[in-house]
Amino acid sequence: MSLGASATRRTPRDELADETAHGELYLTQLRRAQLELALLALVAFGGIVGSLPLLFLLVPGLERIHLFGIPVAALLVVAPLLAIFVAIGAIYRHRADALDASFRDLIHDE
Amino acid sequence: MMIPILAVGAITLATIGIGTWGVRFARTTSDLYVASRAVAPWWNAAAISGEYLSAASFLGIAGLMMQIGVPALWQAVGFAAGYLALLLFVAAPLRRFGSYTLPDFAEGRLGSRRLRNLAVAAVLAIDTFYLIPQLKGAGIAFTEVAGAPYSVGIAVVAVVVTLYVALGGMRGVTYVQAFQFWVKTVAIAVPAIALLIYLGGLPHRATLFGDAVPRAPAQGLRVNLDHRQTVEFPVATTFEAAGQARHAIAGQIVVLEPGQIVLPPHAVVPVSSGTPWQTGREWARPVRSRGEGAPLFIYSLLLATFLGTMGLPHILIRFYTSPDGPTARRTTVWVLALLALFYLFPPIYGALGRALAPSLYVTGETDTVVLQLPTLAWHGMGGQILGAMTAAGAFAAFMSTSSGLLISIAGTISYDVWGRGGRAVRLPVRRRRFRIVAALGMAIPSAVALAVRSVDISILVGWAFALAASTFCPLFVLGIWWPRLTPQGAAMGILAGGVVAIGAITAGVIAGAQTLTGPIDSILTQPAIVSVPLAFAAMIVGSLFTTESPDAGPQMLALHSPEGLGLEAIDRARA
Repeated sequence: MSLGASATRRTPRDELADETAHGELYLTQLRRAQLELALLALVAFGGIVGSLPLLFLLVPGLERIHLFGIPVAALLVVAPLLAIFVAIGAIYRHRADALDASFRDLIHDE
Repeated sequence: MMIPILAVGAITLATIGIGTWGVRFARTTSDLYVASRAVAPWWNAAAISGEYLSAASFLGIAGLMMQIGVPALWQAVGFAAGYLALLLFVAAPLRRFGSYTLPDFAEGRLGSRRLRNLAVAAVLAIDTFYLIPQLKGAGIAFTEVAGAPYSVGIAVVAVVVTLYVALGGMRGVTYVQAFQFWVKTVAIAVPAIALLIYLGGLPHRATLFGDAVPRAPAQGLRVNLDHRQTVEFPVATTFEAAGQARHAIAGQIVVLEPGQIVLPPHAVVPVSSGTPWQTGREWARPVRSRGEGAPLFIYSLLLATFLGTMGLPHILIRFYTSPDGPTARRTTVWVLALLALFYLFPPIYGALGRALAPSLYVTGETDTVVLQLPTLAWHGMGGQILGAMTAAGAFAAFMSTSSGLLISIAGTISYDVWGRGGRAVRLPVRRRRFRIVAALGMAIPSAVALAVRSVDISILVGWAFALAASTFCPLFVLGIWWPRLTPQGAAMGILAGGVVAIGAITAGVIAGAQTLTGPIDSILTQPAIVSVPLAFAAMIVGSLFTTESPDAGPQMLALHSPEGLGLEAIDRARA
């Protein structure tokens, strides 16, 4: 990785601290990666929640199927959806922290 | 009668006790506003959930479900989903930015004093709209529980909340909120489970899911009306009003005078005007072709709650109390889990209410089903004790949400408006200002709550969410993720979104859109689906047309750089 002039070589950390164009580029990459991750989670969430009302409207047969004596359509609205939210949130948190960690490694390693 | 009052009193005393115990920790400015940023995720998540679960969650969802049916549950879905949006777009960057309040963020990110003032106005508007229905709920519940006048409940909650907010500041309130979350969860879960065990499962399944409608029980139904009430008789019925026998034909609308109404055994129950008359099958349908179950209304409601939560000032201020960005994320996931636990229980009250509390359809008081169901479904001591639990839980809901809102109002005014000396103002001066403002900040909404007894709780809460989604949501999403945002663009977006949201709802109230069913009425009642995209568009277009390009480098660094990079300037600003 050495460029030769190691005495004056600037690390990513210096670039970031001095807010140079290079430093901004590193940070922009992190911001874009975080935003992509958030949008991906949003699409997963929106796809599930957004399609459910249409599903109920287009498949009226769902209300004739009973589980524990309760129509499946009514059962689906709360508990399973909230469980999916928690799952999406937990997976997102894990991935977002990992992106932060790899950025930290980039800054510290060089 | 005595047991619920004792339970409410015990909760109130415990609240004051924990609040004053928390005072011991309020030594610095940072303690007063953000609890020194040292609140652990577990505590903070319970505190955030405790603050969030208001009258609308504790009483409103079950009441609306009993009234209109399963579509009411989309509200619970939206209330929880709001935290997912907050987690994805706001939680960690906002904490890293290190502001004390929302106006702080607006000025810190965009460097405009005018924008800060606009943000202050929006914070106060949203908080006040949210505080009024809490106080109104307290007034109604106190009437229900203790038979006291409407104004007594408002006065009790207003005084208690003002006391512990003024004395404890943020640090004390954090412990109170965490305590209140568990009070509310136990108070809604234990009676629901006990009633299901006592009844041996869900009764009257045909009324809930089949072709039957709510009917009077085998011994007939006595309903005491304390006000004049317009009801619709779905089928021809003979009944007794004020001691005289009367007859109503199918579909007849009857105005009942105050007094006792007696319905014969197994008679189909008349419904108050505004309540749809439906069979169990229709009631249990989560999406309908029209009305409050229409897809357009559901999507607009989901959008308002999904995006509005991140713009609620009293909730966001709690994220500033996390130690760092990753902790803010972890806290939010915990909040999602805690809310998921809570929202399992209100639907049980909605269903049991339809099966066992048909008198509420006549009086139109379905909103009080959580308070009344235990004594109506279980005669004797068991029902009384469970009823006392839900009453105590309801008061915990009013108190915790009100105190969060009051913290936000008092913090905003004493720090942003009155605190022109910046952070240099000495702590005793600051604390005295905070207390004065807290007292004033509660007095005005209390007066309004006394005046607007007839305005629906859900309308006022809907205003708060729609307004938050149309102003602060675009400011955060674009301010955090789009370096090109300018103060001019941000101001245009906040004004456009706020004016359209308030305008649509005002027009809806004037036109009486809540009782109509067309797509226009859906938008006037819940304008988020129009006002939010408009606010985003105005912010983006306004920013692109601003001539000078802003340099948001330092702000982006503060928002997005992870902790532990060893950048001294950043770490110091975040401490």
